[in-house]
Amino acid sequence: MLKSIWFIFKTEILIHIHRSKTWLYPLCFFFIVMILFPFAFTPDPLFLKKWIPGCIWIAALFSNLLSIDSFLLNDLEDSHLEQLLLSQLPLPFVLLIKLFVQWIISILPIIMMTPVIGLWFHLSFSTIKILGLSLLVGTPCLTLISSLGVVLTLGLRQQGMLLCLLILPLIVPILIFGTSITQQASVNLSTSGPLLFLAGLSLFAATCLPFAMAATLRMSCDD
Amino acid sequence: MNTKTSLHANHLSCIRQNKPLFSNLSFELNAGEALLIKGPNGSGKSSLLRILAGLATPTHGEHLWCGEKIEDQRLHYFNHLHYISHNNGLKLELSIIENLQLAAHLALVQIPDLQTMLSQLQLLADQQTSVKYLSAGQKRRVALAKLFLIPKPLWILDEPLTSLDETAQHFFITQLQQHLKQNGICIMSAHQTDCFHAIPFHQLMLPC
Repeated sequence: MLKSIWFIFKTEILIHIHRSKTWLYPLCFFFIVMILFPFAFTPDPLFLKKWIPGCIWIAALFSNLLSIDSFLLNDLEDSHLEQLLLSQLPLPFVLLIKLFVQWIISILPIIMMTPVIGLWFHLSFSTIKILGLSLLVGTPCLTLISSLGVVLTLGLRQQGMLLCLLILPLIVPILIFGTSITQQASVNLSTSGPLLFLAGLSLFAATCLPFAMAATLRMSCDD
Repeated sequence: MNTKTSLHANHLSCIRQNKPLFSNLSFELNAGEALLIKGPNGSGKSSLLRILAGLATPTHGEHLWCGEKIEDQRLHYFNHLHYISHNNGLKLELSIIENLQLAAHLALVQIPDLQTMLSQLQLLADQQTSVKYLSAGQKRRVALAKLFLIPKPLWILDEPLTSLDETAQHFFITQLQQHLKQNGICIMSAHQTDCFHAIPFHQLMLPC
C-alpha cells in the first residue's frame, strides 16, 4: 500500500509539472498582486513594514483560490475520477495525496518566494522568518478547506465565483491567526501560541476533511 | 475465479432530470454469462452501467453481487469489477506504461507481464509516449489492456469496441471468450453487434 501511495504521489507531481497552470499561474498572480500594494498605498518603508505581512497573507489566500479551482476538474474531464472512486486504495487517502501534491506545487513556491518579497519591502529577517513559518503551518488548512468547497461545487459552471463566496467566510479565522502572528512578533510577544493553533487547525483539517470530501465526492458523482 | 459469482438486478429504475430512462429492469447473470445492452442514444445505457458499477444509485430497485446488496459492501464489490466508461479514464499526461501501472496501484495489485500484453495490443513501440498523443483507437486499447492485465470477475464496459480496428476487435473478443470461460461475467453496451456472433450474449433492449 505504501508503494502505491508513493507511486500515486509521483505521478501526481509529474502531471502537475506538465501543466504549468497549477504552479506558474498562482506564483505569477502572487507576484503581481504584491507589486500592486505599494502602488495602491504608499511606498513609505515604515508603512510597508507594518502592513505588508497582512498583504502577503491575502495574496497567498487568493492565489490558493485561483489554483484550487482546477483541483479534480481534470480528473472529472478525463473520467479518471471514476477510476479513483472504484479504487481499492481508500478514497480519503487518495484525496489527501492529491491535496498534498496540490499544496506542494501551488503554495510551496509562494512560501519560498516570501523572503524575496520581504526583502523588497524592507522587512526584517526575523519578521520574514515568522511570516514564512506562519504561512507554512497555515496554508495547508487553507488548501484543505477550499478543496472541500471544490468538491461541493464540482462540475458546476462558473464554479470559481461560487467557490470564493463559499470559502472566503470560512477561512477568516486562519487569516486572523496568520496575520496576528507577525503583529505579535513585531512587538516581541511570544508567537508560539497562534503558530501552534494554526498547526493544530491544519492537522485537524488533514485528518477530518478528506473523509468529508470523499463522502461528498461520491454523492456529487452519483448522477 | 469463483463459480458462485452472480449479479442480480431487481426492478431497477432510473429517473434523470425528471425524465424516466428505464423502469422495472430485472435480470440475473451467473458466472460465465454476458449481457449486451442495446438501445438508441439517450436511452440510458451509460446510466445503467454506472448504476451497475455502483457509482450511481438507482431511483428504485436494488442490485445484488453474490447475493448481497451492493450498497452494503461497496469496497468489496469494487474489488471485483472493472468499469471502463466511454472516455477511457486515462490520464493524458502520463505514458501508456505509467497509466497501466497507476491502474494496478489503484487496484493494489502487481502487474505480471506488461510487455507481452503491450505487444499483443500493438502498443509496444509507443509505450513511453504520453497518452494525449495517441489516436482514439490506441487510447481505447490502453484502457482495455487493464482488463486483461488485472484479472477481475466482472467487466462493465461502455461501448468497448468504439474506434477499435478489426485486429483489436478480434483480440478483444478472444479475450472476452477466455474471460467467460474462466467464469467471468461481462456487461457491455454496444451499437455495432454483428462482430459478437461468437459470444452467447443475453440481450437487453432499452426502450427509447
